[in-house]
This record gives sequence, C-alpha cells and structure tokens, in this order.
Amino acid sequence: MRRNWGLGIGNWVLLCATAFGAANDSFLIRNADVYPVTSAPMQNVSVLVQDGKIAAIGAKIAAPKGIRIVEGKGLRVYPGMIDSETNIGLSEVSGERVTVDTGELGEFMPQLKALIAVNPDSEHVPVTRVNGITSVMTFPAPGGRGGRGGGAQLISGQAALIHLSGWTWEQMEINRTAAIQVNFPSIATGGRGNFAADFPEAPGFGGGAGTYAERKRQYDAQIQKLNDFFDAARQYQKEKTSNAPGFKRDLKMEAMLPVLDRKVPLAVLASRERSIRDAVAFAEKQHVKIVLMQPRELANVLAELKEKNIPVILGRTEALPENEDAPYDQAESLPGQVFRAGVKFAFTTGDNEFVRNLPYNAGRAVAFGLPEDEALKAVTINAAEIWGVGDKLGSIDKGKWADLMVTTGDPLEIATEVKHVYIKGEEIPLTNKQTRLYERYSQRP
Amino acid sequence: MKRFLLAALLALAPLFGETTVIRNATIMSESGKGTFKGSIVIRDGKIAEVGENVMIPDGATVIDASGEWVTPGIIDCHSHIAADGNINEGSVSVSSMVNIKDVINPEDIAIYRALAGGVTVANILHGSANSIGGQTIVLKMRWGKDADEMIFEGAKPGIKFALGENPKRAGNPQGGRGGNASPARYPATRMGVEDTIREAFNEAVAYKAEWDRYDAAVKAGQNPIPPRKDLKLEALKEVLEGKRYVHAHSYRADEILMLIRIADDYGFKIRTFQHVLEGYKVADEIAAHGAGGSTFSDWWGYKMEAYDAIPYNAALMAKKGIIVSLNSDDAELMRRLNTEAAKAIKYGGLSREDALAMVTINPAKQLGVESRVGSIEAGKDGDVVLFDKDPLSTMSKVQKVWIDGNKYFDRDGDVSGRPAKELEKKKLMNAEKSNAPARRPQ
Amino acid sequence: MKHLVTALLACLALNAQPAPTSIAIRGAKIVPVSGPAIEKGAVVLRGGLIESVGENVTIPADAEVIDGTGLTVYPGLIDALSTWGMPGVAPAAGRGGGRAGAAAAAPAAPPAKGPEDRPSTTSWIKAADEFQPNDRRIELARNAGFTTAVVFPTTGIFGGQGSIIDLAGDKRDDMVLEPSVGQYIAMYIGRGFGGGFPSSLMGVIAYVRQIYLDADHYKLVKAAYEKNPRGMERPAYDRALEGVIESKRILLPANRWVEVQRMVKFGRELKQPTILYGMVEGFDKRSTDYLKDTPVLVSLKWPAAPRDPDPDEVETLRTLEDRAKAPTAPEALKQAGVHFAFYTDGVDQPREIQRAMKKAMDAGLSREDAVRALTLSPAEIYGVADRVGSIEKGKIANLVVTKGEIFDDRTRVEMVFIDGVKHTPTPEPPGRGGAATPEREN
Repeated sequence: MRRNWGLGIGNWVLLCATAFGAANDSFLIRNADVYPVTSAPMQNVSVLVQDGKIAAIGAKIAAPKGIRIVEGKGLRVYPGMIDSETNIGLSEVSGERVTVDTGELGEFMPQLKALIAVNPDSEHVPVTRVNGITSVMTFPAPGGRGGRGGGAQLISGQAALIHLSGWTWEQMEINRTAAIQVNFPSIATGGRGNFAADFPEAPGFGGGAGTYAERKRQYDAQIQKLNDFFDAARQYQKEKTSNAPGFKRDLKMEAMLPVLDRKVPLAVLASRERSIRDAVAFAEKQHVKIVLMQPRELANVLAELKEKNIPVILGRTEALPENEDAPYDQAESLPGQVFRAGVKFAFTTGDNEFVRNLPYNAGRAVAFGLPEDEALKAVTINAAEIWGVGDKLGSIDKGKWADLMVTTGDPLEIATEVKHVYIKGEEIPLTNKQTRLYERYSQRP
Repeated sequence: MKRFLLAALLALAPLFGETTVIRNATIMSESGKGTFKGSIVIRDGKIAEVGENVMIPDGATVIDASGEWVTPGIIDCHSHIAADGNINEGSVSVSSMVNIKDVINPEDIAIYRALAGGVTVANILHGSANSIGGQTIVLKMRWGKDADEMIFEGAKPGIKFALGENPKRAGNPQGGRGGNASPARYPATRMGVEDTIREAFNEAVAYKAEWDRYDAAVKAGQNPIPPRKDLKLEALKEVLEGKRYVHAHSYRADEILMLIRIADDYGFKIRTFQHVLEGYKVADEIAAHGAGGSTFSDWWGYKMEAYDAIPYNAALMAKKGIIVSLNSDDAELMRRLNTEAAKAIKYGGLSREDALAMVTINPAKQLGVESRVGSIEAGKDGDVVLFDKDPLSTMSKVQKVWIDGNKYFDRDGDVSGRPAKELEKKKLMNAEKSNAPARRPQ
Repeated sequence: MKHLVTALLACLALNAQPAPTSIAIRGAKIVPVSGPAIEKGAVVLRGGLIESVGENVTIPADAEVIDGTGLTVYPGLIDALSTWGMPGVAPAAGRGGGRAGAAAAAPAAPPAKGPEDRPSTTSWIKAADEFQPNDRRIELARNAGFTTAVVFPTTGIFGGQGSIIDLAGDKRDDMVLEPSVGQYIAMYIGRGFGGGFPSSLMGVIAYVRQIYLDADHYKLVKAAYEKNPRGMERPAYDRALEGVIESKRILLPANRWVEVQRMVKFGRELKQPTILYGMVEGFDKRSTDYLKDTPVLVSLKWPAAPRDPDPDEVETLRTLEDRAKAPTAPEALKQAGVHFAFYTDGVDQPREIQRAMKKAMDAGLSREDAVRALTLSPAEIYGVADRVGSIEKGKIANLVVTKGEIFDDRTRVEMVFIDGVKHTPTPEPPGRGGAATPEREN
C-alpha cells in the first residue's frame, strides 16, 4: 500500500518543483532502511519531511529543488522515542531539593501544571535527546527522590507531553494536560520479604507500621476521600452547566472537568495488586479513563485490564524482583506477559538521569520473552496512542510530525550510534554538557 | 521431584571432580587469543585447555554451545551485597577497625541474582559514610557454600575510603525531626575530610613506629611488653606497609588529587578510585600515581558532585593508560554488567574486547587476582559464563555460570524448579493455617 | 550450719509455718534425671539438701511426710538464661536478649566515639548484686515448676555476669547459688549513627574483639607491674576489662546457621569457652556440624506467625520453613550430640511455658530429654552439676512435684522445694494464662 502511495507522491513532487526553499524543517533522507513501526520495515527508501511533518516515504522520491539532503546509506530511520513517565525539566539534581520542583504540598491538587515549571534549559533535555528520545511525559510528582509531596498526596496535578526541544515551555508543549496524576492509596507493607530480617541477631531500630487492621482502615478511608472529591467535582460540573445561583469558579474543580468528560485520562500510580484492582474499580465507578503507571503485581489482573481496555506504563525492566522468593527475572519477564495477555503498554525509565537508556530497558525485555517489534512499539507508537496523540507522533507515517532518529543499527542495542535526531523536522545538535566536557578534557595537554 | 533431583545433582557435582567441555561457542577470551569460535575444557576447577580445537577427555560432560557465547566470569569491583547488618559503621569518621569479613552472609539472594547476571567475583565494600571506612573482602559467588567458602582465597584484603558529599553528610545534620537532631560528626567539609585522613595516618605512623621498635627489640633477644594492639590503627599500618589495598570512593577532581597527594606524602598507593566520576579531569595525575579507576558507565546528575559526570569517563581514563573497570555499587545493576560494558563502545568508541575487559580482566587486575581470573586462559580458574547471544547485546541472557569448574547457575534448572517451589510454599502456608489455634476476633 | 539458720529463718517466710527439720515425699514416682525413673519411691530432704532417694528408703521419724501417691517428683526446673529478678526489664522481652535490656539503657551518656569509650558495657555487674527477689515473675516461675534461674544482666553489648539464683529465700544473698557463671554478650546497636559507636553488627564484633585484645594486654601489663612496679607507669584501672577477665565463659547470640558458624568461630578466636543462645535454626546440619564443643541454649519463644497478617502479603519460604522446623531443633541437637538447655526468653506465664515445652515434645523430643534440658543439662553447662540439676543424695533439695507427667496439658504443679523449703503455687489470676482462655501464639 505504501509503495503505490509513495509513487503517487513522487510524481506530485516532481510537478511542484521549486516551491520549497532550504527551510530548516524540511529535508530528504535518502537510501535508508526505514522502520515506520506501524508497518513492515522498508529497505533503501527515502523519507521526505516538509514543514516539520512527514510528507512522503518511498523508494523513489525526487528531492524538491534546494531541499537539504541527508545521506542515509547504511543507516536506519526510526520514529523518535517517547518516555511515558519522567520529571524532565522539573528536577535537575535529584538529591538537591532546591533544584527539584516535583512533589508539591496538598492532598488534592489537580490544578497544578507540570508544563509551566519546566525549565527548557535543563541539562536533562540535551542529554536525553541525543539518544533518540524526542518527547516525554513529564509529571508533577511520581514521589521519587527529592520530591517530598508532604503527606499522602492523592492528586498531584497535570502531566504534560512535551518535545525535548524549544526556546520556551510553550514551544515544547504538545499537550499541557495529557493526564492528571493520581497516587492511588496503598496498604503499607509490614516490611517482610527478607527472612534474615525476621530473626535479627542485632536487634536495632525496628519500625512498626501499625496493625494490618489499622492500615486497612486508613487505606479504605483514603479511597473514600478520593471518591468524595470526584463526587464533589461532579456536583460542581452540574452547578456550572446549570448556571446555579451563587456559582463560583473553582480552579481545582475546573481542572477536573475534562477528566469527568473522559477527555483527559487519569495517570494512576498503583503498584500492588490490591491497589490496582481497587483503582480499576474506582475508575469504573467514576466513569473515568485511566492509565496505570508502573504497576508491578499484574499477573492476576491482566485479563481484567484487557477486557476493560486499560493500558499500562511499565517501569524499568532493570529492576529487582519484588521479594526474596520471586523469580530472578520477574521484572524482565513482565512486559512479555503483558503483551501476551493483550494489554496495551509503553515503557518508562522513571528517573531523569536514565531516560536516555529507554531503548535498552526495552531491549532487555526482548531477552525475556517480548517480541522485538513489540519492544520498539512500546517506546514509540504505543506511548503516542496511550497519551492520545497517535495521529501526530510515534511512527513514520505521512502527516505525522517528523520526530525521527537516524541510527547505525538497532536502537535497542547499546553499541548502536545515533547519527541524527529530528524534532518536528528540525535537526537537533548532538551535543550537550557531557559531550562538551569530553571534547574539552580530550584536549588537556 | 525433578527439581529435587536436579538440585541433588548440582550439589553432588563437585564431588565427581568433573571435567566439563563447552563446545563450539564464540569465546571472548579477553586474552591474547582474542575472540574466536572454539571450545573450553575445564578440569579440576581450572581451565585445562581453550582453543579452536580441543581434546575432549573421556567421561567429560560436554555442553553443546553452538550459536552461543562464552565470556570469563564477570567481576564487580564495587558491591555491598552478602553482608549482614548495616553496611556502614557511620557513627565515627574513621572506622577501620570493622571488617566486612566478620559479617559475610552467604545466603543473601543478591548473590544468586548476581550469578544470574554472570558475576562470579565481587569486591564487597564498606559503605561511603566515613572518610576512612572499614576493611573489605573479595568473594566468589559460590552460592550454597558457607561464609568461609565464599571468600576468594588469596585475594588481598582491602579498606574503603570515601571522599566528598557522603562522608561529610553527618557533619551537616538536617534540622532534625521533633528536636531529635543527631549531633554533628566531624568533618563537615572537604577540608575536614582531608584533615580526618591525615590525622588518622599521623596516628598510624606513630603506632607503626611503636610496633617496629617492639619487633626490633624482640629480634634483638629482649622481652618487652608489646604495645597495645589497636584494630583501627592496625588496618592503617597494613596500608602503610602495602599489605592492604585502598579503594577510595570519590567524585570530584579536587578530592581525587587531594588523596593522591596524601598517599604520596605517606608513601602508600591508592589501589583504585571508586566511582571517580571526574577522573577524566585528572586522568594524568591518576595514571602517574598508578591507581586504577572503577566507575559507573553512565550515572550522573543525582548529586551535585555527579553533575559533571560524563559517560565518556571510562574511555578517557583508559586512553591515559589507567586500568579502568565498570562497576555496579548496586544489587540490581550488578546483574547487567555485560551490557554496562557495551556502553564503553557507545561512549568513547572502545573495541568490543576492550569494553568487555572493563568487567573482566581489568577488575581482576585491580583486585590483584589476574593470575586466577578475568580471562579464559589455560591455568586460570574455571570461572566462565555461557550466554545465549552476544553478551554485549541487551537481548542476551545468561544460561549457565561455572565457578572453579562447578556449575552454580543454570537458567533451565531455575525455570523448571519454580513450580515446585511455589507448591512447597503453598503447602507450608496451608499447614500453618490449619494448625493455627482459634484466634480471638479482632 | 548455714542451712540450719536458713531453716530456722524460714519461720518468718510467707508460708508462716514452722519449718520441719526434715521432709519426706513417699509413694511418688521419682525422676532423678541422672538415672532411671523410680516408679514408686521416696525422697528425704534435710537441711536444704537431699538426704536420700530411692525405691526403699528409710523415712526418718522426725520427717514431715508428704503422701506422694499419684504424684511425680522431678528436679526443680532451671531457666538457663533468665532475666527474672533483674530490675527495669520489661516482662515480654524480644527474642535473643539484648533487646530486653535496651529499654532500660540510660541514653544520658554522650555517644561513644570508639571502643575506648567502652560503649554499652557493664561487664563488671553481677546479677547476684542486682536482682530483686520481689519481682512478680519469680513467683510465676515457681508456679511453673522452676526452682532456679541463671539470671543475667542483659543491657547493651557486654551486659554483665550471670549468677545462678534459687527462686526463693529469706535473704537475697541466700538465694545466690553461684555468683559468676559467664558474661552475657549481645549484638546491640542502639539507636544507629546518632547513638554513637557501634552502629552496625560489624562494629559490635570489632568492639568485642578489641576488648579482648585490651584485656590480654591489660593482664600482661598488670603482671609486669606486680612483679616490679618501680619505674613503671601504673596500669590504669579498667573495670570493663576486669569484668571481662573474671568471666569464666561468654554467651553469644545465634539464630540462623550463618550466625551459629560466625559466633562459634568468634568464640574460638577470642579463646573463650562459649555458649550460644537463641538457636532458631538449631535443626540445620550447618549449625550442628559446628557445635561439637559448644553448648547451646534454645529459646522457648518459638517463632510464630504475625498476629495480624496482611492477606496480600506472602512471607518468604525460608521464614515459613524456619517456623515449621524450629521446634524440631531440640531433637536434632540431641541426635547430633550437641549439649543444649532451654531458656524461657520472656515466656513467663506457666501455661505458655508448658505449651512451649509440649511443642518441642510434639516435634520429636522425648519427655526425658525435655526434662533434662531444663534440669541437669543447664547445670552441666554452667559447671554446677555437682550441686544441682538431678535428684541425688547430697545435692541441693530443689524439686518440683507434679500431678501428672510434667509439660502435659492437664498436669498441675503441686509444689516446689527450694533449698528444702516447700512452696505451693499461688492461684493464677483470672483471664491470664489460665486453662479457660483460648490459646494464643506469642
């Protein structure tokens, strides 16, 4: 199908020869192996990018006059990769709180926007994109290091989908409200999972998390609070649409409206099985869309997730098993299991410093049962579709933005070099603080 | 039942004095022979022969490794697994009296998981809370053996130093919760870290002089009362005498240089700088001193002192003639040192063999055990790893691991044993439930 | 003479009866422990000692005769490691000691900066000087059939010296059977970094090692000074070292087999006769193989499932296995020829002690061996088997008389004799440990 369409475009281009000047978001990559991801790879074809969008892919595309040519011989073209959960722009040195803007105070904060706190000059931006990651979801508070959310924060705010390029955060924006982050309650564990800790020779500081009954009570109370908040939002919606007397605009409630209308999904952090099940039940009860963020204990809920079409963002495959008895490859095997259950998923690496290793994280899952093309999808088109921009990003298809990477080989392999990175058709300089330090100290006499 | 038999076989294997032959693999020997397709004969715990064609002895267990790859056992030069209790004796700034050897935990599941990643040797270090930390030990990942049997016999003992943010953290306690702030522990700055180390060596020099005088007197036939043995200074005396390796956790260029100058002043050598993320800035000085560098492949940015870290660090240091290894400092990363090594190809353009060297022969040299491990050569220990694919690929995994010619990890055995383990667990849980006495209602 | 005085003073005892000069229990089953059981016989007590025991003994004319029909006489039970009577110790102490004393440890002292500050050390304290006879648990203990306890101070790392105490007497000092039987050592690490040195297991071990090095040196210096003080600086008095030097043996904690091996080797290194206490994994061959010459004390606080488990949380296989196998440890130790005794480890209620003993018997330990482990074995382990621990002529008249075989569910303790004085159990308070309450794992 592509071939026929390509030929047609090629003819059209020949007819409209000189219209395109040497615009810096227009170029032609020629003679490369192209991996569109949504269809089979193509050997030795060209990709035409115009005004930042993919205009054509095909074997014989004649270059419009004056357009920049990129020699693709021996190289491969892939869609730029997407990491589905980071804090890029919001956290610089995770151990230094003053450089960190994740984890605001407050229990219900849906009105907070990650986008407007993104520092476009964060060093994480150039460090990450040189390895072909062209856009990321950036979150208000996944509760990581340095981000102290002050008490159990249930709704953290609006996560943004951003390009890793732009003079301002406005220019980086793809969607400022791609999701609203919910930290689903969980029952604190008693700390078991290591038998040596159960028979301590050196009795020392021992915590007590309270009895299970207490912890369960707290858990149930938190879920109730969440439900109450959503009920209040619905009430607000009713009052707003019916122009109720005395109606006052409330920013928190305003932020909830697109969620109630199912236009914006909730990105729900839930790791253990009980939290996952309860989160799914909550979503049903409240008629909202959810995406599960970094769930771990998935084995028994996959069927339900498939049935309800709930996608998941899988955390690092490079992770230790849950407890002492779990199989050593528990984290690595999970993506394969999720794929075989028919649940849609994308990958994330979590910490800013490791986002550049997103493809290797995906590659690791291939060793343990995930088909390779699925791994590639999980860092490209799946992520785009999960976050509602499947029509704009995530694959090499006509009409989509030219977020591309050009490599010497399989991007999921470490030894592969990234030769070019494009974001919205603009070539990204493959330099950052680290390459500059490298240059500088290579020249120390 | 099958799992039990397999386990029994695995347990009995060492008794057979087995000969194992790994046939027709792609061997990354990390020796002069380079990488080639061939076979390995392991007998009586040692590599008996390795080459394109080998003699297969009678009665040998032959593993058909066609299409698969073999590397030397991976060596992690910076690890904190397999130790009971706190990995730091952080109450005092100089804790050289404590010894990891006293608290080896041979049952730490991290040992097994490291094996599953191809690691056969690990340098178990004290934490980094102290300017001068505790004594360290090198272990072989002999899963199932007891503490003494885990010790890499003949590996020189070490001691951990730490520079930079970590050892001064206790000097700058946070406000404290509820008025229960910990008292500040000197030092609070990098200046104080230097002073702490110098003070300790000042004491150690005097202590050594006392003992040298005593030893001389005994030699001269006298019978004086010996000086009091001080465990803290004893370890530092060994450093001065070159009997104990110093592994120094360090980040910034200024502190790396600082420690080199202290070592020069007191006449000892730093064996390795650990982490040494700004090592590339003072690579000349490190090379001149003769220290090795054991670093991360691409960690950066999590602390201020890691903000200038670059993934080209290993390559730059190597170019200056420093022996460089890549380590984990982490029970999870430890399982992927083969792919961490691949990052030296990506960042700095090292060859495949030079990259793998960073987790095999280089750390062996740093730990002084290169005559025993680190490469696949006749005469060395039978520490080898079988991968199903190219070990530098993210998509490969470890199939089998041998240490001293004994098989300590077998993925097939692990996978097939899982149902039986689950069953046993369920049985015990059900037995407990049925035995449980009636509880008072909550 | 002393015992005559005791007998006379017994007039003022709680029982408020004129003490007989001689007591005979006639027609009872007698279990001497040192020899075969006597189906029907008699024991005669006089002056606090056993005058005669056997099938056919002459009952003296002046003896108060107790009809022993349907009763069984055993040696009085001995708790091999006890805190009964020690001030400031919470009754339901944690497993393995150390914790028991922690609550009482005065946090007033500034954090220790190293071994020279002798942290958490009260090695000179003797239980004989500290114990309080009016501790309520002593009465409970007698109700359970105990006549004697080896009481230790258990605070900190070097808790102090244990004493063998008989659990009744007019004057405190009369209760002391043996003032110093060993030094209690625990791997106590207090509040962590802010609490001072040591704050890690390896720190405690290094500290204990240093203390013994210092003790050896101290002895050398003191001996030299003794011989010829002129011109020599006098050795500083160090009561911590004095306490350690005067202890005839040490007690070290060990629950997992890894710890058993570690502590046996440590005791050997310190050149101290060693007793291990705890022994959860005493059933494991890797423990028993190391215990040829080391006696052990098995805790009666059998590991139990948590009271309010999270239904979603699964414990590790190892924890489940240990819980199931722990009560088999005594029998396994017996089979392996390891000398062992029981200790109550905070299990203070008579009903709970009985159940704990029954658990060991249900797991395979014979009643005979069970009784021995609470009578003659602890006496042997502490070197006082010539005086106590069995029913033999000349030994101290410490006995327990039961209706029914000891440790059975329906058995009652009818009376105990301590130094020849009869005590009848006080009625149990309602709702606590009585037969009416449902069983509770503790």
